[in-house]
Amino acid sequence: MMNDIALHDHTQQLDRRGLFRLGGLTAGALAIAACSNNTEAGTVGRVGQGGTTPSLEDPIVNDGVLLRTMAGVSTSIANAYEHILDGGFLAKASETMPDLGDQTELVTIFREHHIAAAESFNALAVEAGEKAWTCGNTRLDSAAIDPIFTRVEVGAPATDNSKEVGPSDDPTRDYINLVHSLESMSASSCQAMVPMLSQAAMRFTSMQIGVRSARQSALIALRILPGAYVAGVGESVTPDANATTTTIAADGAPPAATPIPLPVALPARFGLLSPSTFIGGAGDENGVRLKVNFETPSLNSLSYPFYTCP
Amino acid sequence: MEIEVTESGALAAISDGGQHVGRRAAVRVGAGVALGGAALSLLPFLSGHAAASATTEPASTAEATTTTAPPQRPTADDVALLSAAQQVEATAVALYNEALEVTGWSDQQALVVTFIRDAHLAYAQSLSGLLGREAPNSISQELFDARRDGFSGKVDAVLASAEALESTAVATHGDVIAKLLGTDGASLIASIQMNEARYCTVLADLAGETDPAVLLVDEEAASLMAKGE
Repeated sequence: MMNDIALHDHTQQLDRRGLFRLGGLTAGALAIAACSNNTEAGTVGRVGQGGTTPSLEDPIVNDGVLLRTMAGVSTSIANAYEHILDGGFLAKASETMPDLGDQTELVTIFREHHIAAAESFNALAVEAGEKAWTCGNTRLDSAAIDPIFTRVEVGAPATDNSKEVGPSDDPTRDYINLVHSLESMSASSCQAMVPMLSQAAMRFTSMQIGVRSARQSALIALRILPGAYVAGVGESVTPDANATTTTIAADGAPPAATPIPLPVALPARFGLLSPSTFIGGAGDENGVRLKVNFETPSLNSLSYPFYTCP
Repeated sequence: MEIEVTESGALAAISDGGQHVGRRAAVRVGAGVALGGAALSLLPFLSGHAAASATTEPASTAEATTTTAPPQRPTADDVALLSAAQQVEATAVALYNEALEVTGWSDQQALVVTFIRDAHLAYAQSLSGLLGREAPNSISQELFDARRDGFSGKVDAVLASAEALESTAVATHGDVIAKLLGTDGASLIASIQMNEARYCTVLADLAGETDPAVLLVDEEAASLMAKGE
């Protein structure tokens, strides 16, 4: 009977069921109090029909798109040369290429070629039914040329995991190498257009421009490294094909910077479609310089009809 | 200079620059072509056609825009054009063989000239591969005879002749590209033309030229293809 006595004890009932009830009531009251703290009504629900999901325009690749893309590439190169010439970089002496000499006049000739090339490509693009593309190729500018200018002239700021990189140790060397890379890319791009363009007359014009770029590439290679005619054939009397402008660091010194390969006038027996590699700027804390591959135009760099110059 | 020959047939004979057999073989092949009725060549090479304009104007593109994809393989007309282009390349090999017989080359000059000779041989072989049994695999005797003297004089003169030959090849291949329909043939000719353009600059530099107008060939040589053909 001791149990019966305990069941009628009010203190015991409050400790068990009452406590749970009180706890639940308290939590509910707190939740309501928290909700009532928000005095804003919020967005009122709307009734109606929303717009459809926007769809990307069809990326049509035709003769006009290809030709105005090439016009943009030529304009980008001409603009890059203008930037280099305006800065007077080619007139300055190069520490790593002491015999280079002033190449301002030659690059000015190159620039005129690319301005004329852009006009020729645009004329064909208009004939093919597209609008002329009068600015540089936005992809080429933003992904390759502008970053090179920044790295050479300004350097790179410090980040969470890397130290600041200073301006280039030899801007003249970097920019004459950039000229070679751009001329090689121009030649490759014009050649790459041949199987992509549907009309023989357009291929003819593209190759006329490409032929000139190839010669300019060969000539600037010979200015950078006189006598560098061929590479990798027989016992070359020309400088080593793997020759670079960088020396190995001594013990205890900072890491040696990335070697910069020297160009040759005849890199292969057939016209190349492979990327032209640019390496330049000052090395980072590990000695790594900026490396950019210049490739022939592809789907991510074409000037589609729905694109306009910025 | 030792030249390794690994190919067989007419091209092998042409490429054999170390012996006079190459010349005889070239003449033999040329005579065979003449007797066989040089049907494969549509190019009126040099001599009587030397007054032809530098390059043939390509057909107007005004009516050109089309969504029709060009053929990949060479058409019947393409085969004739590519055959002619192959004869130009084979003739260049024979001419450079003549040049390498000349004494007085520096090591560097011999290296470059041999490189270019071998490249032309590679072009002829590549075109042979593209054309298959329809490839002429022969030189143009007319072109060879017209240029031969220039490739057998003094080194400086040979370099100038070689530069002129390369410029001629560039102009000719440009005209071929302006007429080819098939993309396979056009791609191959384009890759050949691109490097032959570089040879002009290299040969001019090798000869000591410093004028950018010459090094960049502001004035291209006349094409071997007559205008309008």
